[in-house]
Amino acid sequence: NVQPPEKPLQAEEWNRLRESFRSPEIFEEVMFNSMVRCNSPIDVAKSLLTHVAKSNGDIAYSLLVKYLALCVQQGQTSEIRDMYDIMKIRFKILESGAYNLLIKGLSNSDQWRMALTLLEEVKKIMVPSRTNYESCIKAASRHQEMNLAFELYHEMLAKDLVPTLDVLQAFFDFSRGMKGAELQKELFGILLYLRENQIYPHKTFMRSIKLWFESIPGGNWRGHLTNIKDSGQCPVCNHQLEDSDLTEEEYNNLRERIIRDVIHGTDTFRKTSPQEFEAFQTFVENRFPFDIVIDGLNVSHIKPRKMQCENLFDAVNCLAKENARLLVLGRKHMLINSSNWKREIMKEMQNKADFFFAENISEDDAFLLYATLRSGKHCKFVTRDFLRDHKACLSDSLTRHLFRKWQRGHQIVFSPSAEGKHINFLPALCYDCVVQTTGDTWHIPYKDAFEEKYSYRVPRKWLCIQQK
Amino acid sequence: MQSANVLLKKIVRSSVLPFAAQHGMKKDLFSLSRTLSLSLCQKQDNSCSPSEKVDLDAWKKVMKSGLQEEVSETVSEHKELSTLAAAREILEMWRLAGRSVPEHISEEQLKTFMECPSKSAKKKYLKYLHLKELYKKNDKRKMDEKRERRLATQEQVSKTDETRRNSFICLWANSMDRAYSWRVAQSMIFGQPLVFDMSYEKDMSVREVANTVRQVVLSEGCNRRSVDPFHIHFCNFKDDSLYHKEFIKQYREAWGKLLITVTDQCYTDVFPKDKLIYLTADSPKVMKTYDHNKIYIIGSMVDRSIKTGVSLARAKRLGLETAALPLEKYLLWNTGAKNLTLDQMMHILLTLKDTGDWKKALEFVPKRKYYSFVSKPVHELKKTLNLINTLKFGKTKEEAQKQFAKNYSKKLTQK
Repeated sequence: NVQPPEKPLQAEEWNRLRESFRSPEIFEEVMFNSMVRCNSPIDVAKSLLTHVAKSNGDIAYSLLVKYLALCVQQGQTSEIRDMYDIMKIRFKILESGAYNLLIKGLSNSDQWRMALTLLEEVKKIMVPSRTNYESCIKAASRHQEMNLAFELYHEMLAKDLVPTLDVLQAFFDFSRGMKGAELQKELFGILLYLRENQIYPHKTFMRSIKLWFESIPGGNWRGHLTNIKDSGQCPVCNHQLEDSDLTEEEYNNLRERIIRDVIHGTDTFRKTSPQEFEAFQTFVENRFPFDIVIDGLNVSHIKPRKMQCENLFDAVNCLAKENARLLVLGRKHMLINSSNWKREIMKEMQNKADFFFAENISEDDAFLLYATLRSGKHCKFVTRDFLRDHKACLSDSLTRHLFRKWQRGHQIVFSPSAEGKHINFLPALCYDCVVQTTGDTWHIPYKDAFEEKYSYRVPRKWLCIQQK
Repeated sequence: MQSANVLLKKIVRSSVLPFAAQHGMKKDLFSLSRTLSLSLCQKQDNSCSPSEKVDLDAWKKVMKSGLQEEVSETVSEHKELSTLAAAREILEMWRLAGRSVPEHISEEQLKTFMECPSKSAKKKYLKYLHLKELYKKNDKRKMDEKRERRLATQEQVSKTDETRRNSFICLWANSMDRAYSWRVAQSMIFGQPLVFDMSYEKDMSVREVANTVRQVVLSEGCNRRSVDPFHIHFCNFKDDSLYHKEFIKQYREAWGKLLITVTDQCYTDVFPKDKLIYLTADSPKVMKTYDHNKIYIIGSMVDRSIKTGVSLARAKRLGLETAALPLEKYLLWNTGAKNLTLDQMMHILLTLKDTGDWKKALEFVPKRKYYSFVSKPVHELKKTLNLINTLKFGKTKEEAQKQFAKNYSKKLTQK
């Protein structure tokens, strides 16, 4: 709300400005903020600092940091160094804000090694932020010190800091055209990191990966952008992508965890009751394996204009092909004849599929997961729910990743394009949408935009890289 | 020489500088005149030539000077800093940097701070302490001002000393207290029981427990002052629990003299099961009328992270009847969770007990949570809500309807 002056001012001119300001006690703060916002010349800021120093005999830390921010913004390296010296003399330790600025400012200059020493200094008092590491890693790789960069990268992973996509991209950008088996291994390591954490690179990042592959001396790598067929085959290299099946061990693990964390949680009574869950377990044991498990209530809302039981009826008919064994999960209120639930239609459906009706206040989703997992790998489930709340119940990220992987391969969703009278379903992906390799090929799914809104949506576009 | 100087000053004052320069001044005197001429020309013109600029790096000298000695002391200290002292220093730096950090922090608080699991948790804790400190300071300031004002009025009163005639003895707070206590004591024999379930300690953080106890204390207070108080029971109350500690912190010595029943037994052991009704916002059943023969249970839990179904689970486990307040039936809900604070619940139940009037009782639901009371059929309210939304947010009709659908469950629209 105040416009910083364009030229350095004399003490009395600053005084005059200050007096005319609404609340003079915060005048300097406000002025510095607007200087940073307007990117004022540092001479102006200096003249204000001089005025403050002369009238108070001291300059507050917060003002120094703001001035530092201005210097960093304009890349004034010598000034940043000076600031560091001054602050070190004046204060025993600095706080993270100043360190962030110093590291950021110096890492972008020819004195980038100084940023590394500052990083060491930060480590003594706290855990550096991921942007601290980002600055240092970028600086090191910009100067072709890839070993140093990777050392910092591993250090940051060991501290449970999540690297930004920017840092990962920087590795690919700055390694372009460089030789070395060790370096290659590290970069493959990053791709595997993307795989393990189910991260999808965005378009520009993908391009960096592609360019790096193609630049490996003597590597003969070629990259193509493509869409994978529904069958899971890559149209470029005809390679069949991995399926999203879990191993036996992972499968059992996931099932145990679903029972423990999602169904029981802190209190079994919150989602069901022990008697009910036991009854459900025996029910499933007696009739499994199912081929498709349907969330009855969820499906019954697909078309809001139709009667709910009609929706469910259509869905069951649509899915009950080729003697597939269906299980429909519902709640007891569906059995009471009402305007939305007609007894005759319910009767007819029960001839085509098995039904389990939970208590009206129980959560049927948890049963859905259990029944599907119990039936085995081939079993799919139908719901429009993204199951995010259930995923969130799982206590560690590894299991959550397993859950996501399993969900990608086993969830059948209602096809949104089907506006017609009939209900259509999209089959679950038969390949796994994740970074994958066979040694001489790499397949990397990527997002179009940097920030895609929905985390549950898997990308459809792929980068296929193969070695000739 | 002296007389010459005086003369010169006179000359300068009368600003006949050209004259002085012409007459061959001494060098030091000349420099004096030069600075003067500078300031003169500045007054006339703001744009200065480069030689006249401010010394832009002067502040650096100021910052570097006079602090060298201090540094030599601190360097040796630096290495021996304990972790606590180091944390204290970081806090000090954050405070200097203008973050929300308290000025004073106790050893205990510092330890809690260091035990915070993440950076954001630390930040939040500090902000909490900072605000607490601010409130305290403000309160103190207000108290001081009040005292001053009181002193001033007292002086005035003493000046105009007038004998007041009053047939009633002034009703002092302690006699009020006695009257209240009498009523509560009666309710302990004849009154309707109201149970606070004190079994949620595990589901809450330390701060949530503290908030809970604060709310229970407020509820107890408004019960005491009501015309026909409840007989309050604290059930599942364990001695030396966190609840207990907090209660002692709040009530101090009054804790032993409270006219309530505290027991470590469960309500199902104290009362017949078929008389109990557990009040929970998650209940599928909606309360229609207030029943004077039932015993209502309120879960003593503050739930900041919205753990749904915790108290419903407890009632389910014991096979108790549950009920929720008919908030949707009477109020056009706006935002906020349907769970109310314990003292709000107490106000509502007391009002219901006295009058049976839902409208009156639900006045105690915070105003920000609802638009208005439901007085018309729902479809007409829809129109009103659309209007409110378009006026308030400039939302389109569809959006407003979506909002409506979210707020109003299907159940209600079918009715």
